[in-house]
Amino acid sequence: MLELLVGIVTQGCIYALLSYGIYITYRILDFPDLTVDGSFPLGAAVTAVLITNGCNPYLTLLAAIAVGALAGLATGLIHVRVGVRDLLAGIITMTALFSINLQIAGSNLPVERTFDTIFTAAPTMALLGGVSLLARKLILSALLALLCKALLDLYLRTKNGLLLRATGDNAALVTTLARDKGSMKILGLVIANSLVALSGCIVCQEQRAFSATMGTGQMIFGLAAVIIGGTIFKKFSVVRGTTAALIGSILYKGCITAAISLGLPANFLKLITAVLFLVVLMLGNFRRKGEKRHAGA
Amino acid sequence: MKKLSKIACLVLASVTALSLSACGKKAVPVIGINQYGEHASLDNCRKGFLQGLTDAGLVEGTDYTVDYQNAGFDDAVATQIAQSFSAKNVAMMCAIATPSATACYAEAENKDIPVIFTAITDPVSSGLTGGNITGTSDKLPVEAQLDLIRKLQPDAKSIGILYTTSESNSVSAIAEYEAKAGDYGFTIESVGVTAQSEVTQAADTLIKKGVDCFSNLTDNNVVGVLASVLEKTDEAGIPVYGSEVEQVKLGCVAAAGIDYFKLGQQTGAIAAKVLRGEAKASAIPFETISEYGIYVNSKAIAKMGITVPDDVAAKAVEASEA
Repeated sequence: MLELLVGIVTQGCIYALLSYGIYITYRILDFPDLTVDGSFPLGAAVTAVLITNGCNPYLTLLAAIAVGALAGLATGLIHVRVGVRDLLAGIITMTALFSINLQIAGSNLPVERTFDTIFTAAPTMALLGGVSLLARKLILSALLALLCKALLDLYLRTKNGLLLRATGDNAALVTTLARDKGSMKILGLVIANSLVALSGCIVCQEQRAFSATMGTGQMIFGLAAVIIGGTIFKKFSVVRGTTAALIGSILYKGCITAAISLGLPANFLKLITAVLFLVVLMLGNFRRKGEKRHAGA
Repeated sequence: MKKLSKIACLVLASVTALSLSACGKKAVPVIGINQYGEHASLDNCRKGFLQGLTDAGLVEGTDYTVDYQNAGFDDAVATQIAQSFSAKNVAMMCAIATPSATACYAEAENKDIPVIFTAITDPVSSGLTGGNITGTSDKLPVEAQLDLIRKLQPDAKSIGILYTTSESNSVSAIAEYEAKAGDYGFTIESVGVTAQSEVTQAADTLIKKGVDCFSNLTDNNVVGVLASVLEKTDEAGIPVYGSEVEQVKLGCVAAAGIDYFKLGQQTGAIAAKVLRGEAKASAIPFETISEYGIYVNSKAIAKMGITVPDDVAAKAVEASEA
């Protein structure tokens, strides 16, 4: 049972990086960014190729961030400079990335056990060698999720971060401040897709494989995680959006594992997952109604 | 924050309850089956696998129990299924199709749970060798297929093949087709797709190119919509050759291919050895089916006006749906 929870939290933390990205584009910029379905496997493809060529697994984190930034930049330029609609700009980049990812990795690419990942490399073993692989995966992914969250929270409070938030809420304000809202959008997409690609990088190391289809549906996952988290914490203004995205992503993964564990016929998996989502969202809503009454009294 | 923690507790408690309910009998070893998705070939693999265990004298309920999950062709779900198997300490994971095997092998790493795979074309290039893992490969008998097509269509010049560019199984099969087609006097026209929704368009492209026949691989995306491909080719009067018995049942004219049920049985036999402790999975090399069957669908053959030579007819098994 404990292990099941460890698995859920590990997956939730790894995919939380992706959720942060969606939080930036969807919640802050109000930009439905489909680039995600391409930039997620892009991070994985680059990681798989680098590791199988003997690159230090820690360096692949930086490489994934860099290529993710490029993907975000592409969507941003297509949208802002070429003037393509937001959804379509993402679709164009995502479609192109499918071929690019296959070109980078050759085909679906396994990372065999002879190659070290961040979970097995020497520095990790020196620090965490005493605990099982499962625990190392949990600790490292939780650390990464919290570190990225802290950095993102810090950034959003800087002047530049405030401008980014204004771009989605009140673009006119950005213009009156003599700043270019287009550049802010591009910056947001760059940050978001760096996080998404970083998530793909960790998934690749955890799964020891890149598959061209691994990006399918990731945008939907991220949206669901951000919305689930956001709904549950709507009343708590102290809870940051990034925290909500993190919790939402753990809950999402929890629902899937719960559905798997129910032992119902295998084809019911998605239906059960959907029902569990609904239950989680309803719990959030019920609580909110209660609070309102409380506040009114 | 009190209410918040209450909700957190509720969710945790329900997850706990759900998971515990699935754990159950501890004494009997559990085989976790992680199947990538449901289509006839993969289902036959699973059924054959269970039959193979029974043939080896193991009885479900006393010797083992089965926890069967399918990922609905979703890689992330395949991962979570493997993870939950590992958390429940299953005695063995059976992985059907490559993405499931990759997921099981990664999640079993921590505990060295044996992984038995099936329906994988190239276990070596998929990185599924070397550890506590073994199973069976469904590599296609390409030369037998080319030979069969030559016998049924002596005048044919080109063979059209649809495949998914991201399925490494298909890519390696195409390479083998291209390498050997010349020996039988064929040229290969292949069209790659990236998603299932593109398959019928790709079929139109091949039909327009005027290929003499189609040869079908075990490509998951293409097999999934084979019926609609067959509709188009029937209209155009182009015969389609399958790669296994289910495809012939669906309306392909013939196939030199594997029987996935038999492949599953062979896999079940390996699993029984491991389960009994007779051998470790790491010590058993993966197996490839050496025998293949010739399957024909006489209704489809009649429709295409093909005559089956006697030597083929003697070996062939009728596989049309009654």
